[in-house]
Amino acid sequence: MKRSRLVQPLTISLALLVGLVGVFTLGNPSFLSAYNVSTILNAVAILLAVGLGQVCVILTGGIDLSVGSIMSLVSVVLMMTVGRLGYGAYPLVALIGLFSGLLNGLIVSKLKIPSFIATLGTQGVLVSIAYLLSAGPLTAAEDAYGVLDFVNGHLGPIQATWIISAVMLALYYAMQRFMPLGRQIIYIGANERMSWLAGLDIDRARILAFAFSGFGAAVAGIVLSATLFSGYPTMGLPYVLNSIAVVVVGGTAMTGGAGGVLNTVVGAVIMGVIQNGLTVIGVDVYGQQVFLGILVIIAVAVTFDRSKVAIIK
Amino acid sequence: MGEPVLRLRGIVKRFPGVVALRGIDFEVRPHEILGLVGENGAGKSTLMKILVGLERPDEGEIVLRGRPVVLDGPETAIRHGIGMVFQEGCMIPNLSVLDNLFLCHEDGFTRFGLLSPRAMAERAREQLAVVGLTDLDPRQQMSELSPARKQMVEVARLLWLSELYQVQNPTLILDEPTTVLQEGEVRILFSLLAKLRERASIVFISHRLEEVVQHTDRVYVLKDGEHVGTLERPAPDAPAPEVPGVVRLMVGHELSAEHYRESMQTEPGQEVVLRARGLRKTGAFRDFSLDLHAGEIVGLVGLLGSGKEEVCRCLTGAERPDGGSIEVRGQRVRFASPKDAIAVGVGCVPIDRRSDGLATTLDVADNVNLLVLRRLLAGPFLSPRRERESAEHWVRECLIKAPSLRTPCGNLSGGNQQKLVIAKWLAAQVQVLILDHPTRGIDVGAKDEIYARIRTLAASGMSLLIMCDTLEEDIGLSNRLVVMKDGAIVREIACAPRRKPPPVEVVSYVV
Repeated sequence: MKRSRLVQPLTISLALLVGLVGVFTLGNPSFLSAYNVSTILNAVAILLAVGLGQVCVILTGGIDLSVGSIMSLVSVVLMMTVGRLGYGAYPLVALIGLFSGLLNGLIVSKLKIPSFIATLGTQGVLVSIAYLLSAGPLTAAEDAYGVLDFVNGHLGPIQATWIISAVMLALYYAMQRFMPLGRQIIYIGANERMSWLAGLDIDRARILAFAFSGFGAAVAGIVLSATLFSGYPTMGLPYVLNSIAVVVVGGTAMTGGAGGVLNTVVGAVIMGVIQNGLTVIGVDVYGQQVFLGILVIIAVAVTFDRSKVAIIK
Repeated sequence: MGEPVLRLRGIVKRFPGVVALRGIDFEVRPHEILGLVGENGAGKSTLMKILVGLERPDEGEIVLRGRPVVLDGPETAIRHGIGMVFQEGCMIPNLSVLDNLFLCHEDGFTRFGLLSPRAMAERAREQLAVVGLTDLDPRQQMSELSPARKQMVEVARLLWLSELYQVQNPTLILDEPTTVLQEGEVRILFSLLAKLRERASIVFISHRLEEVVQHTDRVYVLKDGEHVGTLERPAPDAPAPEVPGVVRLMVGHELSAEHYRESMQTEPGQEVVLRARGLRKTGAFRDFSLDLHAGEIVGLVGLLGSGKEEVCRCLTGAERPDGGSIEVRGQRVRFASPKDAIAVGVGCVPIDRRSDGLATTLDVADNVNLLVLRRLLAGPFLSPRRERESAEHWVRECLIKAPSLRTPCGNLSGGNQQKLVIAKWLAAQVQVLILDHPTRGIDVGAKDEIYARIRTLAASGMSLLIMCDTLEEDIGLSNRLVVMKDGAIVREIACAPRRKPPPVEVVSYVV
C-alpha cells in the first residue's frame, strides 16, 4: 500500500524543539540565558558524539548497546593514563573505542548474530574490563588538568566542547553524505537483500558502521570524564538509552534506511534541552526518566517502518 | 441474469496527491466470471481493496444483494461472502494445509471444548476435493506446496468460509493468479474456475489479456480511476472479445500491432561472452552447458522445478554450483557472491523487484546510482553534481517517469520501477544481463517499452538471458530458446524473426 508521508520526521523534530524551548523559557525565563545555553551545549557535545556513532549503526537496521560501556571504559582508562601519557591518552582511548566498535562489527557480520545480542554481550565484557582496571571511581591528578583543558578550555568565547561537536559533526556528515560508505550504510538498512544482490560489500560497510559508533562513544566518553575530572565503570551507563533517544527523537527510523546525521544533531539538541530544561523548571531526576522513556516510545512509534517487519516482537 | 450480487455506485477514493477512483460503478452478477483489467495505477487494486474492506471509499455506496453495507475489514467482507486470493498468497507457510484452511475459524470442530483433528481432517479433505485437490494430504505443510496448489487451498478456504457464514453465491476475487503459474497449471485453474462458477461469482484480475478475454463473461476496463468500458460476451459459446479492442480501451490508443518488437531483432555476434560447461547443482540441475554470444538473447524455458531458476542464481553468484565451470570472455570465473559476478560484468534483474531489486524507501537517484558510486567520486567524496547528472542521464535514457529524482521509488508504478532496476544495471555497464521475468506485473504500455529496451541492448552487443512470464514472450523475444526439463537441457530451438516456432511445439518439449 502506498502511503505518502505528509510531514517529514525532521520537521516534526524541529517543531518539537521550538515548542520545548518555548515551554521551558515560560517556566523559567533564565532558561535562555547565555550561561544556561552554554551549559546545554556542553551536554549536547556528549549526546551528539555518542548519537552520531549510534545513528551509523541504526541506519543499517542494527543497534549498538555497547556505547555506554565504551564510554565507561574510556573514562577509566583516560583517568588512569592521562597523568603519565599526557595528550597521548586521547588517541589511546579513541583507539579503544574504535577497536571495540570493529569487534562489534566483526561479531555481528562474521558470526551472523543480531546486533542486539552481540552488543549486549560486548557491553558486559567492556564494563567488566573497566571494573578490573578500577572498581571504584578515579579522579584526575591535578597536574593533568592542563591536558584536560583540551576539553574544558576555551578559545576566546568559544568553548572547546563546541569545537569538538563541530569537528565530529563535520566528520560524520562528510562520511554519511559524501562518501560511498555512508550511502552503503543506508542501502543496507533500506534493503539488505537487494544490496547483497547488487554486489555491495555488506560486511565491510557494517563493520565500519560499528567502528564509527565505537569512535563516537569514545569521544563522548572523553568529553564526559574530562568535564567531570573523573571516571568510573558505570559512568556511561545512562548513555545507552540516551544515544538511542538522540537518534530516534531526531527522526531516524529504528528499522534503518531513513534519517541520518542532521536528524541526529536535532535529536541531540532536543535531548540536551529536555535534560537541562526539566532540571531548570524543577523536575527531579526520576521524573525526567519518566519523561524520557515516554518520549522515546512516541518517537519510535512515529518513525518505525512497520512495512519492514511482519510481526512486532 | 438475475439481480447483481454486488454493486458499487459512484465510488470515489482519494489518496494524498492522487484520486485513485473517480466515481466508479461496478457490479458482479451471479455465477459469472468477470475480468478486471487496466494498466498499473488505473485503480484495480484500490477497487479490490475496497471490496475486501482494506480501504474505505470516500464517496459512494456498496450494495450487496440489494442491501447497502459498510465493509470495514476483511473479516466483515468474508461474512458477506467476499474473499480475495492475493497475488503473493497470504497463508502461513509453516502450518499445515488443514490449519491454514480453518485458521481462526476452528470453533465448529470442537468436541468437549477441544479441537478434534479427525473432524477437521475429514472436512478438509471434502473441501479440498471441491477445488480438485483430491490427492493432497491436509497434514502437509503449506510451504511444501506449489504456488498453484497454494492458490487452490486459498480458494477452498474462501468457499468454506462462505458456507460457514451461509452466503449464497459468494464473490471470489483472484488477483493475478496466473503470474505464479506454469502453462499447464493455468489450464487447470481455468477449468476449475469454470466449475466453481456454479456456486460463486469470480472476479479475475490479470495483465494477460489473452487469458482474460478467453475465460471471462465480461471484461471490465479501468483507466486512470475511471470505468472506460465493458466488453461483453453475449453467450458462453460466442467468440471472445478481441484483445486489441481491450488494449485500445486500456491505454486510450492502439499499440503497434507487432509483437515483442520482432522487427528489431538482430543477428548475434560470434564472440562467446558467457560460457557455462557441465554446471550442476545437486537436487536442482545437472550438466548445464551454454554459450551466450555477444548481442544474443537466449530464452530459458521450463516448468517450475526444471532447474532454470537455480541455473540463473548460479550464473549471477547468488548460489554456488556444485560443479562445472563458468567462463566470462574466456576467463574462468568463480562467483562466491553476486559481487564477483558484477565485477566481471554479469548483472541480474530479479523477479521480485520490490524485495530484491530496489530500496523502495530510497529515492530514484540513490537507486540508479547504487552500483556506480565509485564513478561519481571527486577525490574521496561523492560529487552531488555528478550524482545528479548520472541519475538524470539514466532516467532520461530509460524513459522513467518520476515526479523528481528525489521521489521514493516505492511510489512509482511497477513499470517505472522495473525500468529503474534495468537502468541501475545499465549504469553499471554490465555485458551480460539476466532478466528474470522482466515484464511481470507491469502494464501493456510499459511492457512494450521493456521489449524495445531489450532489443536495443542486444543490438548494442549486450548478451541477455531471459525467463519470461509466458512462452509466447520467450519465443517472441529470443534469438534462441534453451528448454530445460527435470534439471537438464532437453532441446535448443532457433527463433529467427518471422520463423518463430509455434508455442505448441515448444510446449511439447517443456512438459
